[in-house]
Amino acid sequence: MTGSNGDARALTSTPLLTFECGSLDKQGWRVKAFAGKKLDDGDLQEARSWGERVGVPNYDELIELLRRSPLQTREQKNEVRRWASRYAVRMQESAGLDAVYDGEQQRTEMYAWAVAHSNGFEWRGSVRAFDNKYYSKAAVTGPISLKEPYHNDEFVFIRDVARAELHVPVTGAYTIADWSFDERYFQDHDMSHAHAERKAKRHAARRRFILDVAAQMIRPNVEALIELGARWIQIDEPGGSTEPDELDLFAESFNLTVSGLDAVFSTHLCFSDYNLFFPGIEAMTGCRQFAVGFANYDSRELGTSEEARPGYRVIRKFRDLSYKPSLGLGVLDIHTNFIEPPELVRDRILYAVEVFGDPSRIQVTPDCGLRTRSWDVAYRKLQNMVEGTRMAKRDLGL
Amino acid sequence: MAFRVAAYQHGIYPRSEDVVAATRGLERGRVTPEEVAEAYGADREDFVSHQQRAGLDYFSDGLLRWQDLFRPLVEASQGLEARTLIRWFDNNSFFRAPGPAAEISMYVPLPPEYEDGAGLPGPRVATLPSPYLFSRVAQADGDPNALMMELTREILQPVARALADQGYAVVHLQEPWLTYFGIDQADWDDFEKALADIRNAVDGRAALILHTYYGDAAPHIERMWRLPVDAVGIDFVETDLGTLGSHWEVGLLAGCLDGRSSPIESVDGTVAFALRVAETVQPSSLFLSSNSDLELLPRDIARQKVLRLGEVSARVKEALA
Repeated sequence: MTGSNGDARALTSTPLLTFECGSLDKQGWRVKAFAGKKLDDGDLQEARSWGERVGVPNYDELIELLRRSPLQTREQKNEVRRWASRYAVRMQESAGLDAVYDGEQQRTEMYAWAVAHSNGFEWRGSVRAFDNKYYSKAAVTGPISLKEPYHNDEFVFIRDVARAELHVPVTGAYTIADWSFDERYFQDHDMSHAHAERKAKRHAARRRFILDVAAQMIRPNVEALIELGARWIQIDEPGGSTEPDELDLFAESFNLTVSGLDAVFSTHLCFSDYNLFFPGIEAMTGCRQFAVGFANYDSRELGTSEEARPGYRVIRKFRDLSYKPSLGLGVLDIHTNFIEPPELVRDRILYAVEVFGDPSRIQVTPDCGLRTRSWDVAYRKLQNMVEGTRMAKRDLGL
Repeated sequence: MAFRVAAYQHGIYPRSEDVVAATRGLERGRVTPEEVAEAYGADREDFVSHQQRAGLDYFSDGLLRWQDLFRPLVEASQGLEARTLIRWFDNNSFFRAPGPAAEISMYVPLPPEYEDGAGLPGPRVATLPSPYLFSRVAQADGDPNALMMELTREILQPVARALADQGYAVVHLQEPWLTYFGIDQADWDDFEKALADIRNAVDGRAALILHTYYGDAAPHIERMWRLPVDAVGIDFVETDLGTLGSHWEVGLLAGCLDGRSSPIESVDGTVAFALRVAETVQPSSLFLSSNSDLELLPRDIARQKVLRLGEVSARVKEALA
């Protein structure tokens, strides 16, 4: 993104701008090659067919590199990661999105990548998120600081290869803290001590932990991105509503991360009872857009009436926030292979525009990253999202 | 004070890194179902021997193959389907909400996942969702209490009966909804009736324990200690012992190890606390366990908590002997 801060602000007020808000699956060739494994013909064919399908320039060079598998050197493996970035950017651009990133192809995972590049954490093992999906969980054990800004290399690379606008996802402080064990800030684990006192200590420790992550880890990382030219940064907070009685902490950590910095900030929330965010997020006045998943809770029936769109009823509360942020309207359910028809996307958008009364406050996105879907499903979903947006624009005369 | 003390580990136990890798691999077509079954089998054996090593009094299979607390029941039922992913209370963990789609009934007396319990050493403990929780997590229109009674009649009663038939000694009902979200006064009678129906199904052959967690039990305690169960479970991370009164008519399960926190509690502090629980509440029986299932911990930490539970239990038994 090369525009000024003012240009970025325009992005989050562009009527029905389309973007992808999270991670994409890593293709087999990316995973195996980076792990130093031997690739088979199917992997090469996957790389070749997607290179052709989404128009990745010079993808033959990747095929040549992959033919040399198992890859041995760090530089070869990093080159594979960069190719994965190119593919993901082109996949989104080819689907027709207005703003893109690389589906976090260079990161291990949104939490693990951030923790691995910071001081003060130790890994503890895998914990299940749902079904057969797990995440690696760390504990904070020492003073928190940044080892190095951990999105700089990927940002510089993507900035150079992308044709569309960029919005950079950065995992937020509340989520990092909430997904970690605390072995540093709260020490009183003896239940024989007075309950009320322990509870107060636990809350105070939690606050120190979250704000330390914001100040010592996320903010310096964001500052480094801005230094390199990032102008639209999405603070990802899938953990944001985990503990409803901590929304003040969530808002405080967001503000501490972004206040006074020269960029446009949005946030991403997903898979929660969004009613819980109110009034907590009224304090997040620096947030220009909330990208929120709704399709997961919605009907698949067509229609723009209140009854037809049960998953979107809560959007009024976002509309009524005093600082008038935009809504990144989640219109694709990322948990199913159901390919939303363009007409369904259109109706979800039209309903939201009707509620907001202002299309410039609605942008269009999947509920969350499409990492749990195959590229084929993700691509077709995104294409239909773009087509549904086009249909909505036509109906609205935009 | 003279009452029985027993310890067990309820609920879903975390999977090992081998099972994590195997189930991930299965989804990506890189591992066969047989290899996954083998990995589950190894985990199950390990958990059983670990409970024995810890000296626990009842044995669980760890519900290792359960995708969430409801899924085996949903999949073994006609008329129920697993729907949207919903956050599991205030955790970074999700379950698929059960959704009634037609008249509910079980295909089989017991979901196949319970086959894992067949070879367990006795006495055995089985875990089920409490009827109030089950009805409240369901995505359904209509009267939730009517659904609670239907789920009890068609699923929980027959499954509890089958578990008692198979010789399970404890049926442990998980009930975080009550203490996390609360309950309307008007709902208590139906909840009590649902519990009584389950108790009738086990018919004295198994102890029925209702375990509340993720919230403070104090606001509900006067009703809880009159429920038709053998013991009520309390989450002592959330509940102040001083609010629980004394001379309970039912037993008490003391959730005294934190199932969501990685530091391992001290033996001395936990023993002192458990003895204070016994002295303060003077329940008819005392069960010791974690405040919630250990699923949200990595397996290595969960193993240490289970060992700690055994150590605490041995010391408490000795002190109260």
